Amino acid sequence: MLRVKAGDVDRMGLLFERYNRQLFGFLYHMLGRADTSEDLVQNVFYRMLKYRHTFTGDGEFRAWMYHLARNVLADYIKKNRHAAHHTDVDNLAEHLSGGSSADAALEQAQEVALLHQALGRLSPENREVLVLSRFQEMKYAEIARVLDTTEGAVKVRVHRAMNELKATYLRIEN
Amino acid sequence: MNCERTQEQLVDYLSSQLTDTEQAALTAHLATCAECREELQTTQRLWQIMGAVPTPEPSPSLRPEFYAMLATFKKEVKNAPDYSLKGLWQRWLSLQIPLPVLRLAYSLCLIGVGLLGGYWLNNKGQEKAADQQQITALAAEVGEMRQVLLLSLIDNPSATERLRAVSYTKELDDPNSRVVNALLSTLNNDSNVNVRLATLEALTPLAQDDATVRLGLVHSLAKQRSPLVQSALADVMVQLQEHRSVQPLRRLLKQPNLDESVKSKIQESIQTLSTGRPAAPSTPSRHDQTISSPQPVRPGTIAV
Repeated sequence: MLRVKAGDVDRMGLLFERYNRQLFGFLYHMLGRADTSEDLVQNVFYRMLKYRHTFTGDGEFRAWMYHLARNVLADYIKKNRHAAHHTDVDNLAEHLSGGSSADAALEQAQEVALLHQALGRLSPENREVLVLSRFQEMKYAEIARVLDTTEGAVKVRVHRAMNELKATYLRIEN
Repeated sequence: MNCERTQEQLVDYLSSQLTDTEQAALTAHLATCAECREELQTTQRLWQIMGAVPTPEPSPSLRPEFYAMLATFKKEVKNAPDYSLKGLWQRWLSLQIPLPVLRLAYSLCLIGVGLLGGYWLNNKGQEKAADQQQITALAAEVGEMRQVLLLSLIDNPSATERLRAVSYTKELDDPNSRVVNALLSTLNNDSNVNVRLATLEALTPLAQDDATVRLGLVHSLAKQRSPLVQSALADVMVQLQEHRSVQPLRRLLKQPNLDESVKSKIQESIQTLSTGRPAAPSTPSRHDQTISSPQPVRPGTIAV
């Protein structure tokens, strides 16, 4: 990224190759919509180019990238207040890695759909820590850097988010 | 290890973010607490389902779209103005403003700086101007005091004091008519020849541009009895090129007891004045040096 900052804009291609799927995953789990997430991925990379001078090189590139992604996301949510978290249940089954039997696959698909739904009902803050922790597989320390907070605060939030998810999931299940 | 603490750490446990000691304590507690084991099972199930939530691949169009965006951006960067200091300077250099325009701008700047500086200095000078005014007022007051002093000293019985009074005339910028009259009367009436000579000397520069003084000096010719003052006056007349003095000088010549040297002096003066040729005064300019003159002061002149 420092090379990009220094004017070697072509290097951005390398960063795109390395991070676009991860970034797409984050946005997808936050929004639940693939098409919008792709637009936002594009948007995040555009901002990286435009605001490349704000990258100091002190912190990790990944934390900076998530900073920008969160801003893009916040802007999008502000503009589209009514666009709630979306669940493409039909699509989910297609992506599943298949169980030992058709029944097991169906059952798993239902569970995943439920969880996806429950996740969509969480507050964006709680959803965010779970997405970063579970889907992006970040450690608490890194999440803390992305959210500009302490590791302890992240721990507490993850715990609370998990409790909320549990409650929501069980409510939908029954 | 209690249940609350354990439940707080379940997610940390599942995401393997516990230290070895923390994990050992947790497993130890789980072995004894059925409730917590159940809790772990629920959480673990959810955690596993979350892990099974698929993340779809971005569509194949994302990559070409990105590179298209990158290409557009590169073009924009090339054309977009660089607002950094270095960029601005380089743009400034590349502007290629014609030299006369630059010179004009530079000179306008200089004029501006000059005007500002002048304005500043002028403002600063106003305080000084106030001081200057006070000084002028004080000087005027001192001048007035000198005139009053002169007027009071000029009637002093002591000749030395009267000499001092006459000497103040030189220090006065613009003697008023009272001072001029007092000096003229001293010139005509003072008993001391030195005082009269000094007065004449003091009056001569004033006569250059004061008609009253000139006329007073002309009239004074008839009143002088001392040969020293007479010849000094004759010199002054020549110096001033005062033609009105020819008549009084002729009358002076007719006086019976006129000093011989004075007589020739006056004749010389009349001649110079009539022909209009300036002649160098033959008497020394400083008359008071001739104080040892054999001519005594005539007491009769006082009464005139």
